[in-house]
Amino acid sequence: MKNKKENIIYWISVTIFLCLTLGPILWCFIISISSEKDIFNNKNVFFPSSYSFVNYKKLLDISTKEGNNFLLAMKNSLLTSFITVVLGTPLAISTGYALARFKDKIISIFMGLLFSTLIIPLFTTIIPLYTIFSEYNLLNNLFWLGIVYTSSFLPLVTWITMNYFKEFPIEIEEMALIDGCTKFKVIIYIIIPNVYPIIITSMLIIFLKSWSQYQLPLVLAASRNIKPLTILIAEFSSKDLILYSQMAAAGILTIIPPMIFSFIFRNYLISGLTKGSS
Amino acid sequence: MKIKIKQNKIFPYYLILPSFFIMISTVLYPIVLTLFYSLEYYKLTKPYDRKFIGLQNYINIFKDSEFYLAIINSSIIIIVILILGVIFSFLIALILDKQNKLTNLLTAIAIIPWALPPVVNGLIWKFMFYPDFGLINKFLYYFNFVDNPVLWLNSRYSSLIILGIIITWRAVPFCCILLLANIKAIPEEIFEAAEIDGASTFQKIKNIMLPMLFPTFLIIITNLILIGINVFDEVVALIGFRKLGEPFMIYNYNQTFLFFNIGYGSAISYTITMLCGFLGFIYITYLSKRWKSYEK
Repeated sequence: MKNKKENIIYWISVTIFLCLTLGPILWCFIISISSEKDIFNNKNVFFPSSYSFVNYKKLLDISTKEGNNFLLAMKNSLLTSFITVVLGTPLAISTGYALARFKDKIISIFMGLLFSTLIIPLFTTIIPLYTIFSEYNLLNNLFWLGIVYTSSFLPLVTWITMNYFKEFPIEIEEMALIDGCTKFKVIIYIIIPNVYPIIITSMLIIFLKSWSQYQLPLVLAASRNIKPLTILIAEFSSKDLILYSQMAAAGILTIIPPMIFSFIFRNYLISGLTKGSS
Repeated sequence: MKIKIKQNKIFPYYLILPSFFIMISTVLYPIVLTLFYSLEYYKLTKPYDRKFIGLQNYINIFKDSEFYLAIINSSIIIIVILILGVIFSFLIALILDKQNKLTNLLTAIAIIPWALPPVVNGLIWKFMFYPDFGLINKFLYYFNFVDNPVLWLNSRYSSLIILGIIITWRAVPFCCILLLANIKAIPEEIFEAAEIDGASTFQKIKNIMLPMLFPTFLIIITNLILIGINVFDEVVALIGFRKLGEPFMIYNYNQTFLFFNIGYGSAISYTITMLCGFLGFIYITYLSKRWKSYEK
């Protein structure tokens, strides 16, 4: 009897949880495939009588104006994320390893500085970056944007990798050292092949975070040719155009990559997130 | 032999050198520079008028009524995030803790909001609250609660509460995963013992789980407050840069990059940083204490 009651509560809460989590995304999708007539003009219509993927086609077709803008922004987003992952992952791994394995005064100070930036609001660094970048003509440059991205995710990802290395058995490394390996060789031949989970986790978190980034490109790379998807989406929604269904389609297309990645690699993400906290 | 020892001593510095360089040039140096800017009269529209004015910018901030409005706005958002965030993180963690065939899938779904760009989060919730075709209004209309669409985003307080709700939606997954990991770390025997003593599920949660999760709740609360202070992307996507109900960061952005008042904007940044720094200091000392006790 008691179990049955608990089960009912469980299933009700699961349903509510699913509605709250997926509901808004599904509604956005429904808007993106409806024609203006159905949902927009009739208050009682929840599902469109006819649907079309014309918005998606438009956004993914380079020959239209919308498609051209959208695909350019997507290319910028992908490129910046790629640069950030390529730069950031090795940095996070090597720094995390150094912080976990070696202790001395300089390293402790660096560690303190690195992690204290976790709580500093972005604006404290963004204002001088803007003046420096505009002085040296570095604004609207994907590579420099990638560098700034890297520095803003480095503390978090380093924290995660450091905690991972603290749990990684040191005996294996010591044995290799006794056998005459240099420390550098230990990293290349022993560590890297054995720590692929944390490498995947770091790459994923860096990718997701740089894909989501909005404030940095808003200040440092908002020109037409360089702006990433997030900027495009925000511009879409702040200009009150009546292209709601196209806006929704752009939103759905933007969240597909992070959704797929976080779904496939969820175990890496979850272990990473819990390590980033404990 | 001597060479090897020397190599070992320098070796860790090679590993941190690139990060060190990047952090110094793109984070630490700018932070110091912001401090200097905050003590200057520095407008990009009047670059030749730049001069040192001491604490004048800070004094101006405390005289600015918009600053107090921004504090109130941010506080409302933070209160909503705290209340909803703590409750929902815990409830969802309880759901995910129960093992069955669905658990894996539910966990995968639970972290989706965390992975989405905050801007898109604002966008998809805009469709929920939009007057004409928002799902919420459609429901209200369908069940005859209202005759005319409710303009959710046109009043200050309702838009702030909605901002709180949608930021909670993004913040909950992370907090929930933390709680879940800590719930799983509680030894099963304690619950079994309580069950033998006749404790109900509610009693088990209230008397065993909640006290044991107290440290995690503190971390979550600090995290939620920091997220609440830094609210930016969702606001832009949901209501744009308008004056009505602007939180801290939008106020900061408008002052700095809309009016190009670098000096004043820097002073605002520093004021907020000091606030965050205070909170973060508690957070990090707490974390490192906890980490040390964990290591023993």
